[in-house]
Amino acid sequence: MNRRLLLRQMSGLAIGALLTPEIAQAASQLAVGAAMGVDWGLAFADLDADVAPAPMRLVSGTAPAGLAGSLYRNGPGKFRRPGGSVGHWFDGDGLMRAFRIKGGEATLAARFIDTPKRRADIAASAVVTPGFGTRARSGVRVGTNDDTNAANISVMPILSGSGGSELWALWEAGSPTVMDAGDLSTKGMKTLRPDLAHMPFLAHPHREPNGDIWNLGVMGDKAVVWRLATDGALISADVIDLPTASYVHDFTATQRHLVVILQPLIQDTATLPYIDGFTWRPKEGTRILVIDKADLGSRRIYELPAFFAFHYGAAWAEPGGTIRFDACVSTDPSFATRGAREVLKGEWTPTPPPVLSLITLSPDGQAKMERTEVVAEFPRVDPQLAGWPRAHTIHATADGGGPLFHGLATHNWKTGASDSFNFGQAHMVEEAVYVPRLGARGELDGWLLAPSVNLAAKATELHVFDALHVANGPLCSWRAEVALPVSLHGALVVS
Amino acid sequence: MTPLPDRLSLRPRRPFKSTAAWPLILALAAASALGAAPFANAAALTITFQGVKTPSGAVMLALVGSSEAYGGKAAPVAQSRLDVTGATATITFQDLKPGTYAVRAFHDLNGDGKLNTNPFGIPTEPYAFSNDAHGGMGPPTWEAAAFEIKDGDNRQTIDID
Repeated sequence: MNRRLLLRQMSGLAIGALLTPEIAQAASQLAVGAAMGVDWGLAFADLDADVAPAPMRLVSGTAPAGLAGSLYRNGPGKFRRPGGSVGHWFDGDGLMRAFRIKGGEATLAARFIDTPKRRADIAASAVVTPGFGTRARSGVRVGTNDDTNAANISVMPILSGSGGSELWALWEAGSPTVMDAGDLSTKGMKTLRPDLAHMPFLAHPHREPNGDIWNLGVMGDKAVVWRLATDGALISADVIDLPTASYVHDFTATQRHLVVILQPLIQDTATLPYIDGFTWRPKEGTRILVIDKADLGSRRIYELPAFFAFHYGAAWAEPGGTIRFDACVSTDPSFATRGAREVLKGEWTPTPPPVLSLITLSPDGQAKMERTEVVAEFPRVDPQLAGWPRAHTIHATADGGGPLFHGLATHNWKTGASDSFNFGQAHMVEEAVYVPRLGARGELDGWLLAPSVNLAAKATELHVFDALHVANGPLCSWRAEVALPVSLHGALVVS
Repeated sequence: MTPLPDRLSLRPRRPFKSTAAWPLILALAAASALGAAPFANAAALTITFQGVKTPSGAVMLALVGSSEAYGGKAAPVAQSRLDVTGATATITFQDLKPGTYAVRAFHDLNGDGKLNTNPFGIPTEPYAFSNDAHGGMGPPTWEAAAFEIKDGDNRQTIDID
C-alpha cells in the first residue's frame, strides 16, 4: 500500500513535497546555515514588546470578497533574558496574535499573555521558571504547575451569546488562560470548578460540529476527560487510567469515541525539565486507546509499531465500525527532545521529518498505518466535518532545508493526490486554518489562511489560498511592518 | 509547552500513583490538641500572614521544631487554626524554647480543616512556609524554611495567598 500511495503521489500535483526521510535529511544537511542565504533564526527571535494593532500592506493579489474575521494565533514569543534563557522552543512566553480581516484589508496586533511565569521571569530579569525543556534557576517560586504555565500553544475562542468575546490561551499541563478577544488583555486563569483548579487541559480540544467540546488533561498514567459546552461551561470531568504514562500532546475523536494515542515516549520520573523525565522505548510500540464517549469505562486497545507524533487529524468511523484518522508521524521524538532546543541557538541538525500517515482501526482488533512520503505537520480539517468521513487533510509541508516548514498542501486520501505550494526557503510557513466559503458546497470549498515569517523581507505575512487550488499560490498576501516569531496554532472567528 | 503536573509531587520513580505527597506533608491532624504546650520559656513568636486575597476561612498552621517534625515524622510544637477576616491574620505563641523552628501553613478557604487537592494531588488552596520559602517542585527543604527563635519577641511575616 505504501508503494501504491507513493505512485499515486508521484502522479499528483506536488512532486516537490514528496520526500523520503533520507532525502529530506540529506537536503537539510546541504542547506543548513549560510548556504540557504536566509537566516531562519528570525523565526525564533525574541519579541520584546506587545505590537499595537497596525495595518498590513497588501503585497500581492486581491482579498477574496466575503472573507472577514479574526484569526487568533498563539505560540512562544520571548525566549531570552539577561540572567538566563529558556532551553527549549516550547518554553517561550505565550504571545497571542490577532490578524483581523475586513473589507479586503488586514491588521495585525500581538500581545503577550500575562502569566505568573512571565511575571516571575520579568521580575528576575532571567528565565527562572522551569518548563518542558528548561531548568529552574535560583529564585524560582513554584506553588503549583500553573506557576510554570506559559499559555503558549494554542487558542480556543469561546462563543458567548454575542459571539467570540473570549479567548482561552491553552498550554497542556495546566489551566487555560482567559483573554479578551478584543484588546487581547489577560483576565486570568480559568478554573472550571474549584476542586479542579490547576488540572491539566491539553492544547487540542476537539469540538463536535454544533456540539460539545471534548478535551483531555494528562498526568502520568492518568487523564481527566473534560466535556464542555460551546460556551465553555463544564459539563463533566472524569479521571480515567491510561495503560502507559506516555507523552500525550493531542488526541482525536469520532462522533462516538475518543481516540488516545499512547506512544512509547514514556514518563519514568516527574522531574524538570519535564521532557527529561521521559524515555523513548520503541520496543514497546504505540498503543491506541479507543474510549466510548457515552461510557468512559468502555474501551479497546489497538497496537502498532512505535512512532512519535504531535498531531492528528479528526477521526471518523465508517458504518461497519472501522475508525480512521490521519497523523503526522516521525520515527522518533528527537525534534521534541533535541531539535527544538537547538533551534533557539541557531543550530539545526536534522531530525526525522513528520510524514503524513493514515491509521485504520478495524473492528476485528487489527490496526494498520499507511505512510505516505509527504512531509506534513499541523494537520487541519474542515471543522464542520470533524468526526465525519472526509477525503482531505490540510497541512504544512517542507522540502528539506532548515527547521520547520516552507509550504502548504491539501492531501486527498481517495486519490492520493497532493495539492501543494512551496514558498521556498525564504519563508517559514505556519499552520493553515480552513475557512469555509459562505454556503460552501463541499469539502475544501473555502480558503486557507496561513501566516509565514518572510526571512528575506524580515516581516510576518498573512496569505490566503483557495483551498481547492493550493498549487496556484496565494490569492493574496499581506505583509506586516514587524516580524513575529513563528507561531504554533490558531483559530478563526468569522465576522 | 507542556505538562507538568507531576512535577510538583514528590513521587517514586515508578509506577505512577495518583496520591501526592502534599496532603501528607501539609495536612494538620484535626484531632490534635491546639495551642502551645505550657513550657516556662522566655521566647515568643508572632506570625503575621499577609497578602490574603480571600478574607474568609482560616489559616491552619503548624510550628515545628525539628526536621523530623517538618517532614511529618514527629509531632509539631504547636498547631493552630487562625480565622481570616481581612488582608492579614496574626497569631502569637508564648513560652517557646529558643531554637530552630519552621512554620507550615495553608489557607483553608472552605473551612473543612483539610488542604484540598485536585484529583491529581495538586493543592487547590494556598499554602506557605516560614521565610516565605518556596520549593521548585514540592515543599521547600527544612533548611530553607528553618529560622531561629531567641529569647524575647520574635517575628515571622509570611505571604499566604
